[in-house]
Amino acid sequence: MAKTLKIVLIEQAFLLAAGIESLVSELQGVFVEQVYHGSEHSLTDKVLGHKPDIIIIDPYAVENQLLSVVKIFQQEPDIKLVGLLSTKAPDNIKSRFAYHLNREDCKFDLLENLKKIIGNSLDKPAKKNRILSNREIELLKQVCLGNTNQEIADKLFLSVHTVMTHRKNITKKLGIKTVSGLTVYALMNNLVDIREVENRG
Amino acid sequence: MLIEKDMKLADVLHHDHNLIPVISRFGIKLGFGENTIEEICAAQQLDSDFLLTILNTFHDPRYFANRHLKSFPVRLLISYLKETHKNYLNERLPYIALLINQLILEASDHKTAYQLLLDFFVEYKKELTRHIEREEKVVYPYVLHLETAINAGIAPIELLHQATTYSITDYEAEHENVEEKLFDLKNIILKYLPPTTDQNLCFTILHELFILEKDLNEHARIEDTILVPKVEEMESEIKKLV
Repeated sequence: MAKTLKIVLIEQAFLLAAGIESLVSELQGVFVEQVYHGSEHSLTDKVLGHKPDIIIIDPYAVENQLLSVVKIFQQEPDIKLVGLLSTKAPDNIKSRFAYHLNREDCKFDLLENLKKIIGNSLDKPAKKNRILSNREIELLKQVCLGNTNQEIADKLFLSVHTVMTHRKNITKKLGIKTVSGLTVYALMNNLVDIREVENRG
Repeated sequence: MLIEKDMKLADVLHHDHNLIPVISRFGIKLGFGENTIEEICAAQQLDSDFLLTILNTFHDPRYFANRHLKSFPVRLLISYLKETHKNYLNERLPYIALLINQLILEASDHKTAYQLLLDFFVEYKKELTRHIEREEKVVYPYVLHLETAINAGIAPIELLHQATTYSITDYEAEHENVEEKLFDLKNIILKYLPPTTDQNLCFTILHELFILEKDLNEHARIEDTILVPKVEEMESEIKKLV
């Protein structure tokens, strides 16, 4: 399963927003999840709530808030901040963004530029290995037996934090989110015994 | 495309056949002829603004119901939502259970695996049913009560209490868990189901699950984008009555 990337766009001008959306729809593995007007109440919370991979900002949309908004987004190291800029934009605005899209560019250039920005996000250490490690299988068993994170941590001599990381990885690898779904998987693959599962508290 | 009153219903359905379940829930019978949405609504005594809102919301995820929001009574919306629930509980879910059962009956091998799948589906079905029952027993009566009170211009104390403690906004968050189970169910079938002799049956099951999921999403969207804002509006209105 290829990772998909979420873009949140901050743009006031409808035509520009529609343009960006149309551009993005031509690329694989990426989509615009939401467009916000710069004047939106508690804008940064809302944007970060989407857990975006990329935020595209039109400086005109946020006007004099630009500095504070950008500062908040910069605290998220995993999010790429893209400025939707005019070539005439002053340097002190350009320099706020790690990545740029030029309003005046033709479609081809915009797409190439977007691909470059997206490209190195898609290359993030994507886990290709779909098979669970022995440790993860061990942990999966414990989850299916109805143990809480704390109980699993105690049993396997791990920290709760590590248990949670393992669980996240298991879910990512298998594409199964719920405990009952994981149990079905484990039972189908004979990782746990049905009697053990039925005896769980 | 925005769907308007003066469009022929047959044309609309040609354009987007996903709207068929909506038509069926409104009790509109086939054989539309050349009639427009408005004409059909008039003949069958349906609120055409309301039908349009639902059709448009279903048709285009970006459609915002704002335009017609105020023009129809909430009880219409509730009765539509209940009709949808009935469809899930009495038709869709039992049908999928039947199909999975068939899978177990026909299998010569891996019977346990299919049984596990059925058990998981039954668990999902129970959870969805519980969620639906809660909506029908708690949320909807509350909403209807709000409407009656506002129309009468009085604010009963217990209703006010409810409006201040339980807000409709909480309710948006409740949809998520049920969705995750359905997601898992699809993935288990797609990725981990042991091979069967009857692949077609599995494809049918999968297809049904995808249709159910799409429909549930639309249903949730109608609740979140039409019901919730409308109720929020009523909640603030009733507080003003005091």
